[in-house]
Amino acid sequence: MKLEDVAVLGVGMCRFGVHRDTTLTELAREAGLKALEDAGLGFRDVGEAFVGYMQGLPMLGIKIMKEFGLTGLPVTHVENASATGLVAFREAAHAVASGRCDVALALGFEKMTEMAWGGGGGRGIGRDAIDSVILPAAFFALWAMRRMHERGTRPEHFARIAAKNWNHGAKNPLSHRQPDHKVTVSEVLASPMIAEPLTAMMACPVDDGAACAILGRRDLAQRLRPERPRVSVIASALQTETYTPGHTFLGPVVGPASMTRDTARQAYEQAGVDPSDVSLALCHDAFANEELEYYELLGFCPEGDGEKLLEEGATQLGGRIPFNTDGGLIARGHPGGPTGLAQIHELALQLRGEAGPRQVANARIGLAHLVGGGSVCTVNLLKRN
Amino acid sequence: MTQAEKERVPIEKGFFTIPRDPSEPPSLLGTRCRSCSEVFFPRRKVCAKCLSQDTEDTLLGPRGTLYTYTYVHVPMFGTSRTDAQGYGVGQVDLPEGPRVQAVLSGGAEDFRIGMELELQLETLRENRKGQDVVIFRFRPLAAA
Repeated sequence: MKLEDVAVLGVGMCRFGVHRDTTLTELAREAGLKALEDAGLGFRDVGEAFVGYMQGLPMLGIKIMKEFGLTGLPVTHVENASATGLVAFREAAHAVASGRCDVALALGFEKMTEMAWGGGGGRGIGRDAIDSVILPAAFFALWAMRRMHERGTRPEHFARIAAKNWNHGAKNPLSHRQPDHKVTVSEVLASPMIAEPLTAMMACPVDDGAACAILGRRDLAQRLRPERPRVSVIASALQTETYTPGHTFLGPVVGPASMTRDTARQAYEQAGVDPSDVSLALCHDAFANEELEYYELLGFCPEGDGEKLLEEGATQLGGRIPFNTDGGLIARGHPGGPTGLAQIHELALQLRGEAGPRQVANARIGLAHLVGGGSVCTVNLLKRN
Repeated sequence: MTQAEKERVPIEKGFFTIPRDPSEPPSLLGTRCRSCSEVFFPRRKVCAKCLSQDTEDTLLGPRGTLYTYTYVHVPMFGTSRTDAQGYGVGQVDLPEGPRVQAVLSGGAEDFRIGMELELQLETLRENRKGQDVVIFRFRPLAAA
């Protein structure tokens, strides 16, 4: 069986945000049960599970899986920083494609609000460490400043992307941020400066959450939900860095820009499609300037034309290639482990035509992109059949 | 000044030199591949480019060019320090090849892309033995 014979049978997630009174197990259970219900399956039908989270004790994933019942199924832990959820998805898809099981479950969960930042003693934490400056805003700001220098990009461009994603979030009941008014460019620019040129509203929030996708043989999709358009996995590419001169090894970094370009090319080749075939894209917009770079690196416009694409309104809902229709990391939220599975959730709804007020007309192929820890990139393509 | 110099120790071994003369800038400890001549910081045994294990230690710096920078306006993550009024972070291209990401010394208005910087050692604290624990930073050369 090939990857394209694998379908997304069901998706489920809980709204991302601060869940102080809900445990990680409860969040994970909610997402998992919703996905099973969406698929029309029971937990006994699941042949393998892939669980993703960024922090936690060994075996946490297996312990949490016990919530669904003890059926003896193999459970594998996945951790690739921000890309964790999409990599769990990728493994589940390949478990089905390889014939190892008919149905696989990918589950991501995280409570980032409880993340132990440590007291400055841990490696890479705080100013007083050799690989210091962990604040993600700082190293993404380095990328933004360089682009402003090279291309004359202005903070208004980044603010426009952030405002767009905040406003997309307002159309998504599962988005963390749901502004009660139209967010403007000047509002984003006026929010507190974190790391020049990035302001607070250009950054994703700190979230708790869980999300789940059920993958299975394509014929199962037909049988379980005959009335529903089928959503197939047509590509799943994953790469780490390829060495290029000027590579930065020490400290948390963005990673080479070529990583997204190379991974996207691999995904397009695998699926036999072009960027022009893609109806909507979800990308790693932890910071607004990233989305601008990915317009180019994912192949939606030539290098240097990102600002033009943005100014044309092509990447907002109703545009030629809407980006981050569910609010993206900036509005929908970014709890880490589940983030990629929230992207799969959004693509599944969009490709089925169930995305409500944010529905992309005739959505046919959707793209999900994440980078993790500046060192990995994954690009996945889903198609409506 | 004839004040007795305190002994200085690195925050972590294997990344930079500590010159005997405190007015001298440090060097970074890097690696050069004997097979393809690529230079790396920090040190590594296997060349990341050609995968050769035929590598040798080399000293890098003390000067470089600012490739990009930012100024962070929120306190440092994970520190209990309350003196943080913001700090610069940059990526510095060394003439030998490597691009080094590090904290920059200076104020919010002191940096511009393309400027020359120099390595310096900054004392973070005194350890129990009374030694100064130091880390490397880059500072604008004009401010030297």
